Amino acid sequence: MAHGGFGPPGSVTTTTAEIAERIRDAAAHGTRLRVIGRGHWLAANRPVQADATLPLDGYSGIVDYVPGDFTLTARAGTTLAEIARAARDQGQWLALDPLGSDEGSIGATVATASHGPHATGFGTPRDHLLGLEFVTGAGDVVRGGGRVVKNVAGFDLVRLSTGAWGTLGVITEVTVRLRALPAEQQTLALAVDEDAPILERLTSGLRGLVTAPLACELLSGVLAARIGLPERPVLAVHIGGNAESMRAQRDALAGLEAGAFAPADDALWTRLRAAGAGAAATWRLSYRPSRFAHTWIEGRESIAPFAGAWMHGSPLRGAVRYAVPTDAAEPGSPERLLRALTQPFDGVRIGETLPARAWSVLPSRAMDRLSRGVRTAFDPRGILNPGILGASE
Amino acid sequence: MTATADPGHGHVDAALVARLAGIVGKRRVLSRDSELVAYGSDGLPSYHARPACAVFPGTRDEAVAVVRALAAAHVPFVPRGAGTGLSGGALADGVVLLGLNRLTRILSMDPENRLAVVEPGVVNVALSRAAKPYGLYYAPDPSSQAACTIGGNVAENAGGPHCLKYGVTTNHVVALTVLLPDGEILPLGRADGEAEGYDLVGAFVGSEGCFGIALDITVRLTPEPQAIRTLLADFTTLDAAARTVSAIVASGIVPAALEMLDAPTIRMVEASIYAAGYPVDAAAVLLIELDGALAGLEQDVAAVDAMCRAEGARAVRVARDEAERARLWQGRKKAFGAMGRLSPHLVVQDAVVPRTKLPQVLSRIQEIAAHWRVTVCNVFHAGDGNVHPNIAYDANDPDATARVHGAMRDIMETCIAAGGTITGEHGVGVDKLPYMDRIFSAQSLRAMCDLRDVFDPERRSNPGKVVPVHSCREWHMAASARRAP
Repeated sequence: MAHGGFGPPGSVTTTTAEIAERIRDAAAHGTRLRVIGRGHWLAANRPVQADATLPLDGYSGIVDYVPGDFTLTARAGTTLAEIARAARDQGQWLALDPLGSDEGSIGATVATASHGPHATGFGTPRDHLLGLEFVTGAGDVVRGGGRVVKNVAGFDLVRLSTGAWGTLGVITEVTVRLRALPAEQQTLALAVDEDAPILERLTSGLRGLVTAPLACELLSGVLAARIGLPERPVLAVHIGGNAESMRAQRDALAGLEAGAFAPADDALWTRLRAAGAGAAATWRLSYRPSRFAHTWIEGRESIAPFAGAWMHGSPLRGAVRYAVPTDAAEPGSPERLLRALTQPFDGVRIGETLPARAWSVLPSRAMDRLSRGVRTAFDPRGILNPGILGASE
Repeated sequence: MTATADPGHGHVDAALVARLAGIVGKRRVLSRDSELVAYGSDGLPSYHARPACAVFPGTRDEAVAVVRALAAAHVPFVPRGAGTGLSGGALADGVVLLGLNRLTRILSMDPENRLAVVEPGVVNVALSRAAKPYGLYYAPDPSSQAACTIGGNVAENAGGPHCLKYGVTTNHVVALTVLLPDGEILPLGRADGEAEGYDLVGAFVGSEGCFGIALDITVRLTPEPQAIRTLLADFTTLDAAARTVSAIVASGIVPAALEMLDAPTIRMVEASIYAAGYPVDAAAVLLIELDGALAGLEQDVAAVDAMCRAEGARAVRVARDEAERARLWQGRKKAFGAMGRLSPHLVVQDAVVPRTKLPQVLSRIQEIAAHWRVTVCNVFHAGDGNVHPNIAYDANDPDATARVHGAMRDIMETCIAAGGTITGEHGVGVDKLPYMDRIFSAQSLRAMCDLRDVFDPERRSNPGKVVPVHSCREWHMAASARRAP
């Protein structure tokens, strides 16, 4: 990817109008842009063919935060860490913990619809977003939604842009809904036997919990060891609520008769999110929650050939994520990776970080007529992150 | 807004009516004045329009055939569910009204994964009833839920009292099969795993019938709460009630519902057949519901009770049983109906303001009502900041009508100035159309038009709604783009 076109990377951008001007200029010259927030997702998703970069890290800062309304508006380049700090001071948080770290930007989190373990309790970015501003590929400054918690004025440009990987517009500002930090919270861990019937019974018990946990992830033994736990499969559960509710939730977990849940360090969640950094390949499988045990065990076999490969998944969301670390890259491993990525599977297989040639084996998300139409309507010259959604865009 | 307004649109003629009758049967195509009277307005009695004809397919295949016949004739149409909408969105002015209320099958139910697939005409409450044996229900609960359809809910991105905790329609729809206005059928989203690509489900939900129709809808079901506590808090000033709302929201406790009724509304409800036992001398009551696991619930109830009293509640009562709870809710849910009985016409607003601004906005609404000499009834989703100031009046009285419209305009300006939006759950339809360019820039409105043109380049599906026509690029531009190879 070539730098240039718009001055040195990382140059400070101060206004939306300036960003719009840059984009109009790029559109006029057919300059293809790679949009960059904090640069934390650069290796993610399909490769981009760009002539220049459009960095947004200089466009940061919290624009408005009304704790009493639980709403916060921030420029796209604002780090999640900055938002977390401001919210924590008010006993609040943005219940969005995308894989990676809090050094990523809110704009990129929304653009990529990135989520993490707490999606189990709080959903993905589309469930947290109240409004946003973006600049289309034609340089139009567009606002969707607003700063209130309920809004049906006009067509939903907010959801349309969430997870569009910047291909419909460069997100410049977002308004999110925050939540109160729970009165009490605790992380619990349970050593788990990866035997199919046992997993089946455990996950079905978890689905039946009266109070759903905030997060609930099954970690493979290798991953557990990587984040400082004993090397064996472990179910990590994050619960929150008032004192009485916490007591009942602990009782309910004990009532699953799957073994003893032991208190664990809350830092587990941060470590889990960061675990994929530098992996040679990460991808995830998503299918019905009722089939989680099956998805887990099939997936375990598919990564068995890779030394040091690991996985984790949400029994309540039905998704399992896999990582092959770079140190597993030995002779023959590219072919094995392709085999792992092409094994028949009932749900959907989503690539996160993959070697360039591995993308071609994932079923291309053939863009339907509507998606192509939307792309053309918002980015007529196709200058925003071209290639990031796959060749068929 | 009529069919002939757009040069590329065709006319409804006898031949088309005959073609439609050939698809759905003669009895299911209405074209006489006397037959169409019931379809001249939606839940808002202030707007009337006469459809050219109304057609009611009884099966999915018939619906597809009807839309394809309309596409072949380039004739505009307005999809309609139960017609309970409150924005004039289902009005068909000289075009075809496409009623989908006969497509009432629940196609499948997957209790384990908490999903249901329904046809668009399934009545909201019927879905919850069908899910009940599995301990599940469909969470979004518009006040019209006994009549409104899931298809209509999808079109409007409908809300309801319990959306404060559980989210609105869009948070519960995971996949759709849509029939585009040109007759093409497309699946959107994914029910059995994460959906990749653009969130076209998110775009379609709330598109007010402008993007086509949903042939089937996959929704998420929610486990019934283990326990429910319903509180009625009685205040002697509107301001104290509003401050209590802000305090509860700020506390971080998320009630399942947090509703406010003001004095005029209380008196109207209590004088109607829906009397709920609200204190008639109160300036306002809050109807607060907390639900979830039994363990820990009483702690939250006690905390909310204390907050109400700290802000000056005269009394706080907790419903003792399901019958009392149902009665308290009936007053709230039927408040619109009670108002409708009072006067022939009713204006309903649906603005949303930041919750911290509620006290000041409500106080300003009082001043506006006094200034214009109108009685504003406030009955609304206070926890969301979604206000519904309503005014019942007689539209045959020109002076009253002018004052009502003046008050409504001032109230809307107040809500916009407070950082709010013009509609939280009813949709834009035709009713809020004049306010769209107050909250969206020309570029934003044009982006919405462009999005609509992707789904419906001929702009035949619910023409003239949601986005003011003058904000869109010229129709002939879209038309010529359509003809381009």
